Amino acid sequence: MDMDGPLVTSIQPNGAAAGQGTVAGQGIAKKRLDFKEAGRIGLPLLGGVLFFLLWQLQAFHRIFDLKTYQLPLPTAIGAALSDNFGLLLSYTSYTLAEAALGMLLGSAIGFLIAMIAAAWPQWGAGGLMLVASLNAVPIVALAPIMNLWFGDEMGARIAIVTVTTMAAMAINAHKGMSMVDPLALDLMHSYAAGKRHVFRYLRIANSLPYVFTALKINTTASMIGAIVGEFFVSSRGLGYLLSNSVKVAKMPLGWACIVMAALAGVLFYLIVEWLEKAFIKWHPSQRA
Amino acid sequence: MTEKAVTMIPEIELDRVSMQYPSAHSDVLALQEVSLNIAKGEFVALLGPSGCGKTTLLRIMADLIQPTSGGIKVAGKSAKEARLAQKYGIVFQNPVLYDWRKVRHNITLPLELMGVKKAGRYRKAEELLELVGLAKFADKYPWQLSGGMQQRVAIARALAMEPEILLMDEPFSALDEFTRERLNEELLSIWSKVGNTVVFVTHSIQEAVFLSDRVFILSPHPGRLSAVAEIPLPRPRTREMRNGEVFFRLIAQIRDRFEGV
Amino acid sequence: MNGFGNLLRLRFLPAAVWGLALLAIWEAGSWFLLKVLQVRMAQSKLPYIHEVVSAFGRYGSTLLKEGWVTLANAGLGLLLGATAGTLLAVLMSASQWMERLAFPYAVASQMVPILGLAPIVYGIVRDDQWARIIIAGYITFFPVALNMLRGLRSAHPSALELMRSYAAKPWSVYWKLRFPASLPGLFGGLKIAAPLAVTGAILVELMGARNGVGVIMLRNLYYGPSHVYMFWSTVVAGALLGVLSYLTMSVLERLAAPWQPEFRTKGGDR
Repeated sequence: MDMDGPLVTSIQPNGAAAGQGTVAGQGIAKKRLDFKEAGRIGLPLLGGVLFFLLWQLQAFHRIFDLKTYQLPLPTAIGAALSDNFGLLLSYTSYTLAEAALGMLLGSAIGFLIAMIAAAWPQWGAGGLMLVASLNAVPIVALAPIMNLWFGDEMGARIAIVTVTTMAAMAINAHKGMSMVDPLALDLMHSYAAGKRHVFRYLRIANSLPYVFTALKINTTASMIGAIVGEFFVSSRGLGYLLSNSVKVAKMPLGWACIVMAALAGVLFYLIVEWLEKAFIKWHPSQRA
Repeated sequence: MTEKAVTMIPEIELDRVSMQYPSAHSDVLALQEVSLNIAKGEFVALLGPSGCGKTTLLRIMADLIQPTSGGIKVAGKSAKEARLAQKYGIVFQNPVLYDWRKVRHNITLPLELMGVKKAGRYRKAEELLELVGLAKFADKYPWQLSGGMQQRVAIARALAMEPEILLMDEPFSALDEFTRERLNEELLSIWSKVGNTVVFVTHSIQEAVFLSDRVFILSPHPGRLSAVAEIPLPRPRTREMRNGEVFFRLIAQIRDRFEGV
Repeated sequence: MNGFGNLLRLRFLPAAVWGLALLAIWEAGSWFLLKVLQVRMAQSKLPYIHEVVSAFGRYGSTLLKEGWVTLANAGLGLLLGATAGTLLAVLMSASQWMERLAFPYAVASQMVPILGLAPIVYGIVRDDQWARIIIAGYITFFPVALNMLRGLRSAHPSALELMRSYAAKPWSVYWKLRFPASLPGLFGGLKIAAPLAVTGAILVELMGARNGVGVIMLRNLYYGPSHVYMFWSTVVAGALLGVLSYLTMSVLERLAAPWQPEFRTKGGDR
């Protein structure tokens, strides 16, 4: 084989000079973005407005053959809302307090269970399975029992919410505590860290994103628990007012309760989300 | 240029292809006026450091992205027409196997899309599994295979529709050195039986030299074609050639091209 | 020991021991309340387990019949809700318009206490059968739509490029890639929704229906102390229905999407 000559042939760039690697294109990209932003907010807003308009004009009533006393008009609901605003506000805060207290209690217990299960994995995981099955238990079945135990005051609903929020927290927190990077665990071992230190410096921090996921799930679950608990034996709260209004055929007031419950639910969720942002800035899910 | 390059029938022709990516601050020129021809049945490598645009170039050939300017012809047609005529087989850096399909059914996937009958699909899959040496693993799920075996399944899948052009985007870069060298040899033996055109993207000089007829060398910032190397090693290539003087000299010459990059 | 035996020993034995311990504590607590503290309505608060079990046995055929009614209504609603949710997810994944329109509402619906709607729906429909189905369907709709959409989007970008390189038609991309990839998401949504659908059905029954577990639960509650054990057996039955609905979804998932990482018996060569 004759291979003395050069085997590699250079190629000269023809025409365009190197170094023009960047071209300004800022203006166009920016404008496109603004338009997109407008579509993201405007379109759902438009859809919502259209929905209410059709409702107000009784389009749904015609399609499903409903009377206005069955499905009240948005204006009637608005009127009920403003007429009873003081009452609604006090009942909303009552229900929200039940939900929040129950959620705090349930989440704390759930977190504790998760810690025990993570510390003694072989027996803990089995116990966790039992707690997880609580997730599938219909809360309505708990309501009469909790009323027997705690009477018709706040306590009964707090207990219901506690039970329903416990499972989600236990499962998620346990996942966060046990799904630790094995190398990080090795590092802790190399420091001769004991079980307590591993928990303090590694497992708990690692579980925080999962804990907030559970808290977000639990905001909705706790509102549902509190409202459903009030349906049956109660003399106050949104759930009580809601089921009572339906019973006495005051449908607009019932709908007003739903509006308040939805607003409270969203508010509760946003508070937890804000806490999450403040607490786990370091997590990838929080980066833009 | 050598004689072969003059008389070749071009399978892929790129004419001053440029690619610009818009970004938040300023647009990035990923490729600047790349022109090259690849002959039918040729094995070429696109070689360069990261950021040189070699993967971008491959994706332009595959019609996965469109160049900002410049022309591309595949077998006399546009890249899109070639894609719609199902002339391409692609192998990515990751095997991209479908978790829910067994090895056999991963390979038959493109044939299903082409509307091949079941008996024909199974026969072809059998044949290809034999070719890549995985006949025993036909009924395993992808996760039950090692990384090297998964990549061989991906190659078999790419060959299933008997593509005229096989495009490979750093297919072995996630594997260890031993597996990679063995798969290099296996790829050449498969290619000698199939005989299609192969475009192979890599950042390993040794791999490029061992596999290819010609190596296109790309440089970054902006990505451009800076040199072409003819590899005069005879075929079939053998493991012993890796230790030969010619092999080392080629590597040294190509490495010199990257000095100062 | 083989893999299955190991699994049994490692996971179910501790759970069984825990369960037995819990029952023992319950039984002891019940005795303590009744005999030592002599609390009012002690058996209503924490009845003897063995009495509840025997009531469950005596009452079995009724519980089975009414439980089936509840489960069938919840199941029908689940099916309707899941179908509609899947459709919405496909629409949202196929059209950006549709996604922009519906996605914010789907997310917001997750923060709204949906079960609160049960009395309203019951007020509108006034038919216990349909009220149960609608509530169950409504509860199912959003979790399924959101999880399914996440699943449809979970297809690997390279896998999509592969389909493109095959010049695959849009519907084959859905059929061969996006749908199989979305199954874990779909079942994730269904596993959330199924117990909630049962809860919704029971809720409607408690507000007034002619049959179902909720109805006999309410009836036994009104009969007072003499029906304590029967009341508790209906509560247990309701809980079992919830667990059963969840397990059904888990089994279906294993049948429909057996390739998922959590179902793998042991790691491959990787």
